[in-house]
Amino acid sequence: MNTMKRFIEKIKDHGERKYFLALLGGKLLGVGLSFLVVWAVCTYFGNSSPKAHADEAPAKMEGMKMEAAPAAPAATPGATAAPAAPAPDVPNPPYVNPMNTMWVLIAAFLVFFMQAGFMFLEAGFARTRETVNVLLEGVVDTCLCGILFWAFGFAWMFGHGNGFIGWGDGNGHTWYFLHNLPATYESTGIAIYAYVLFQFAFADCASTITSGAMLGRTGFWGDLFYSFGVSGFLYPIFGHWAWGPDGWLNTIKPAAFHDFAGSTVVHTIGGMIALAGAIVLGPRLGRKFKRDGGGAMPGHNMTIAAVGTIILWFGWYGFNPGSTLSIMDTAGCARVAINTTFAACAGALTAMFYVFPRSKKWDCGMTMNGLLAGLVAITCPCYWVSPFGSLCIGAIAGVVVVWGTDLLEYLRIDDPCGAWPVHGLNGIWGTISLGLFATGEYGMPTPTGADNSAGSVVTGLFYGGGTAQLVAQVIGNMAIGVGVLIAGFALMYIVKATGTLRVSKEGEQEGLDIHEHGGEAYPETVTSKLN
Amino acid sequence: MQKIEAIIKPFKLDEVKAALAGIGIQGMTVSEVKGFGRQKGQTEIYRGSEYTVDFLPKIKLEIVVEDKLVDQAVEVIQQTAHTGKIGDGKIFISPITKAMRIRTKETGEAAV
Repeated sequence: MNTMKRFIEKIKDHGERKYFLALLGGKLLGVGLSFLVVWAVCTYFGNSSPKAHADEAPAKMEGMKMEAAPAAPAATPGATAAPAAPAPDVPNPPYVNPMNTMWVLIAAFLVFFMQAGFMFLEAGFARTRETVNVLLEGVVDTCLCGILFWAFGFAWMFGHGNGFIGWGDGNGHTWYFLHNLPATYESTGIAIYAYVLFQFAFADCASTITSGAMLGRTGFWGDLFYSFGVSGFLYPIFGHWAWGPDGWLNTIKPAAFHDFAGSTVVHTIGGMIALAGAIVLGPRLGRKFKRDGGGAMPGHNMTIAAVGTIILWFGWYGFNPGSTLSIMDTAGCARVAINTTFAACAGALTAMFYVFPRSKKWDCGMTMNGLLAGLVAITCPCYWVSPFGSLCIGAIAGVVVVWGTDLLEYLRIDDPCGAWPVHGLNGIWGTISLGLFATGEYGMPTPTGADNSAGSVVTGLFYGGGTAQLVAQVIGNMAIGVGVLIAGFALMYIVKATGTLRVSKEGEQEGLDIHEHGGEAYPETVTSKLN
Repeated sequence: MQKIEAIIKPFKLDEVKAALAGIGIQGMTVSEVKGFGRQKGQTEIYRGSEYTVDFLPKIKLEIVVEDKLVDQAVEVIQQTAHTGKIGDGKIFISPITKAMRIRTKETGEAAV
């Protein structure tokens, strides 16, 4: 009431009235301009929903229902032994397969939840004073990655183009801003947005892995800049080499490079950029290395680090089995899930027993990293190996992660979470292990079942397949690993040149939480008061 | 025998500890404390709004040394804990009348 009275008093005054009208005019102008912008954007972008085949989809679905139903039972028992040949009269997609789309969506949600695991793990391995920084980095990374994937990441990674980068459907339509997308991705039968979401969750993992090696001393502007580079450029472009519809690694002879769920694409890329970041940044202040009479700075909360590890394991059930993109290949999905489990078990136990003789203590941190190492390693070969093979792969991963940690310590490289030993090194090991352990029984998942025909099976050295697959794996992994390491160094040095990569000495001593974010993760309420 | 209590900035602890070990001081007690002096508190941010923290985190370091070491120890602490900025802390020295090592019942300077 009082406000109203004051307003009426004021409006009677000539000067005030002029001021008020000017203000009103300005606001209206602003609103008008906003509408103009909205209109311009709408006109430019138009209707970006998948429309290319929207009209045909229902008709084909009708036909599909008849054929898909008998195809499913045929695929289930026969998937491992006999190849379930794709029925000849299955119409060429696009039709949206509801089962497979649901499967991919669930997997996408699981992979997305791995972000919680990463944030827990990294926060637990950080010190109290940089916890807010780690958590915010995890959140912002995800959001930034989403925007970039929409704008151009998806087009570059999964679009048709050349062997090194993609951009569209191959007929002159670009996929930037998710324009011109078909109803389903390629011949997968997966609704396109489900596929985009699934791949966005993968991309998000890559940039979060990077942050694990760089925590405790990276300024937040630096975080934003390198995240932009990793999820916007490095991951989509190098990922296209292996996963793009026309990536050059798919065409190498005599055997094509295989990376089922991303030991190379997600983990080697993330781990190698992490290594570049850790080297360019230098160690945290006060970090002494083993040969200088020091050791790792302990993380501040093992409880959340351990819980984070298990959340990651849980999320991996979306990461690996979801990468079949087809629940119709039931045997394949189940095999991938069990292989994922066994590799994690073996990795954790070997790492634990391998470091036990050093200190005669059961080391929690290294056991968790061993578990993750097993998961990273099985990510590439999970579809093509037997459970016994996955145990072997995981067991070796558990040793590799310890060696990697020792090597970094010796080289005086400060990697607070062990991102390089876990993701970089075991990404390499996992990719190569396919060339050794692939059993030669399994080919590729298809939208209607497994294609285990002679032409598509993958056979490793230990199962009489010769070295062809091994060579392909080494070539593919080295091409991406070395390429992304060089690109990672370039990115980090560019960010360093802006002066934002590392915080000031004072800022680091004060702690990133206070210095960059103005508050602590664990403020004492007794000695502070809210205004 | 005298007790030296030093209130220092937390990130200076490692340096001070190493310097004291360098002049032959073998033990110390350290606690995380909060307090304020001329520095007052500081402003922090929570969900976009500022709030003041009246007490800042500091480290309190206590050592009991024989008389002849006191001056040297105080000097070492002053030098290593010094940044020149407000909030570097303070050193307090007080006499100790008696000391005993619990394990052996030794008393006096032998106990510290």
